[in-house]
Amino acid sequence: MTNNSTSSVRHSLTIGWLYPDLMSTYGDRGNIITLQKRCEWRGIKVEVKKISVGDDAKHLKLCSLVMMGGAEDRQQEIVSEDLKKGKDKILKEVIENNIPGIFICGAYQFLGNYYKEANGNIITGLGIFDVHTENTSKNNARLIGNIAVKNFLNDVLIGFENHGGRTYLGKNVKALGTVENGYGNNGEDKTEGAIYKNAIGTYLHGPILPKNPLLADWLIGKALETKYKEQIALEPLDDTLENQARDAIVKTL
Amino acid sequence: MNQIIVLFGKTLSAFSQMFNLGNGSTWPGHIALQINKHFVRDILKNSATKIILVAGTNGKTTTSLLIKTILETNGKTVIHNSSGANLINGIASTLLLNANLIGKVRAEYAIFEVDENSLTKVLAEIDPQYILLLNLFRDQLDRYGEVATIAKKWTDAILHEEHINLILNADDPQIAFIGQQLFNQKLVKYFGLNAQGKKEFDHAVDSIYCPRCGTKLDYADIYYSHLGNWSCPKCHLKRPQLSQEAAPFYPLPGQYNEYNTFAATLVAKELGLSEGQIKHGLQQFKPAFGRQEIVEYQGKKMQLFLSKNPTGFNESLRTIKELKATNILIALNDRIADGRDVSWIWDIDTEMLGEFAKHITVTGDRAYDMGLRIKYSGIPNSTFQTSTNLKSAISESINKLSDEETLYILPTYTAMLELRKILSGKKIL
Repeated sequence: MTNNSTSSVRHSLTIGWLYPDLMSTYGDRGNIITLQKRCEWRGIKVEVKKISVGDDAKHLKLCSLVMMGGAEDRQQEIVSEDLKKGKDKILKEVIENNIPGIFICGAYQFLGNYYKEANGNIITGLGIFDVHTENTSKNNARLIGNIAVKNFLNDVLIGFENHGGRTYLGKNVKALGTVENGYGNNGEDKTEGAIYKNAIGTYLHGPILPKNPLLADWLIGKALETKYKEQIALEPLDDTLENQARDAIVKTL
Repeated sequence: MNQIIVLFGKTLSAFSQMFNLGNGSTWPGHIALQINKHFVRDILKNSATKIILVAGTNGKTTTSLLIKTILETNGKTVIHNSSGANLINGIASTLLLNANLIGKVRAEYAIFEVDENSLTKVLAEIDPQYILLLNLFRDQLDRYGEVATIAKKWTDAILHEEHINLILNADDPQIAFIGQQLFNQKLVKYFGLNAQGKKEFDHAVDSIYCPRCGTKLDYADIYYSHLGNWSCPKCHLKRPQLSQEAAPFYPLPGQYNEYNTFAATLVAKELGLSEGQIKHGLQQFKPAFGRQEIVEYQGKKMQLFLSKNPTGFNESLRTIKELKATNILIALNDRIADGRDVSWIWDIDTEMLGEFAKHITVTGDRAYDMGLRIKYSGIPNSTFQTSTNLKSAISESINKLSDEETLYILPTYTAMLELRKILSGKKIL
């Protein structure tokens, strides 16, 4: 890494948004909006590349940051089919090359090793996160509610979870954080999400980034670092409203 | 036994009304059903009332009231469950209030709004003459789960019945498909728009895949959300022919209200009313609380647009923009009836506000979340303010109004109820 510098109008980023038309069921668009605005407010130019079914996988290689949200079952099947046609290999490649990414709910599960349905059927995942998910019939209750997670940045993530699947971490992945209030990955081991290199998997809706500006800025920072091969500091922004929103939830936990 | 329940229920309701105890509209019915779980079925078996069920994500209350107004203007007697009482216990309460002491309802018609997730349960107890299906949009995901799941539940419940007349929104593929699967096509009629539409979707759009074969649908015209003139390029399923694509009179602004008006017109036609009678009825229509009702408060005018999901909110924004709004109050709550997860607000195109709003006040339990949404829409800090206290938020907004200006209020469901208390001094219904 060369000397540190501060972000400026010289910098630009491309955010890859995977399957925005299919995997946007829970307001996950808010994550893209947050990243975009937090860059724009610092003078960093942003292009959002929407990558969906049938689009050339090579577009992924041009991205400095990747996001994929959650979806209903029918849409997830369509996405799964399309990923296997080439995007899966490129996605693995760019994540191995330290591209930051955030993968929410259904997307998080996809990037795991496998998903086991109630009838015993096993759906293979992309194997990027060393995790697997189960949704066995005896666990009919969904894990729903506001959630607070102490994460690797020593910051508390505030969000809302709503998932039937229970995810378990393997050896080659770290948890995104420890659950302070709520269920997390499986309601048992107090872990939430997963992080591998600069890729994050999580169950947090909210959506996650608007109320967690430190995480949003970490993703932006990593994107700049990977693109420009140097650590680039971000000018601080006024996060008063963000903190008021966080406090309002924390009070109820 | 049912007669005793009726007497008991009427006493309870009278008591609660007398003491202004608030939502007395579901617990009498709840108790009745505890005593006799087939209470609803029994009362209706005794009565000659024709029943119309109205279901859909947005528009149930407005459409039910449109139909009720048309019928009552033309001399018919109608009962209708109050807004917010659209589960089976609410329907039971309505029957309790309107049944006479021998357990019979005398009204010629009953219009029951039914919550999306309760249609199956209601159809187990009620044999309606008509089912009106308005639309299916994303709404309260933490309560209902998925749109496709609800469509399937509706299909299973309805296709079991062989003699109900269906009035369906042709422009909503999942709803139209229910009708298209019915064996007796004479029992289905469709309403929809026949106008020039958009060529591109809004962001928060569901079900744009063929309900039969799963292929992405083509649209000759898009009206709003996923409603439009749709067809499948693979299996050639397409929007069915419209029986109703206009109305003799339009009492409410907003494209979403065209659908509601066509639906009400079609139902009234099926019930035997003439075009002239329907027009006369529509001209008498007064909107329901929160659904574009205009209220006076502290000498100023305010108009409320209940906005409880991305589609409804977008349509409210478009409509108030047409009405030349400049002062807006947004109230976001996250109580059980609103949905505890407010992620959906990021699917609203609040960027639109930048085109016309001069003052935005954001309030409700989750005021700060909505404030963030507004901030991230690029709206300058000077244009909006956030305050969790509903009453002071109203006062602050009113202070910014000139005498001729109207304050446009976009509340979620429980915020609307709170507003009603403040604006009219009465607890809801």
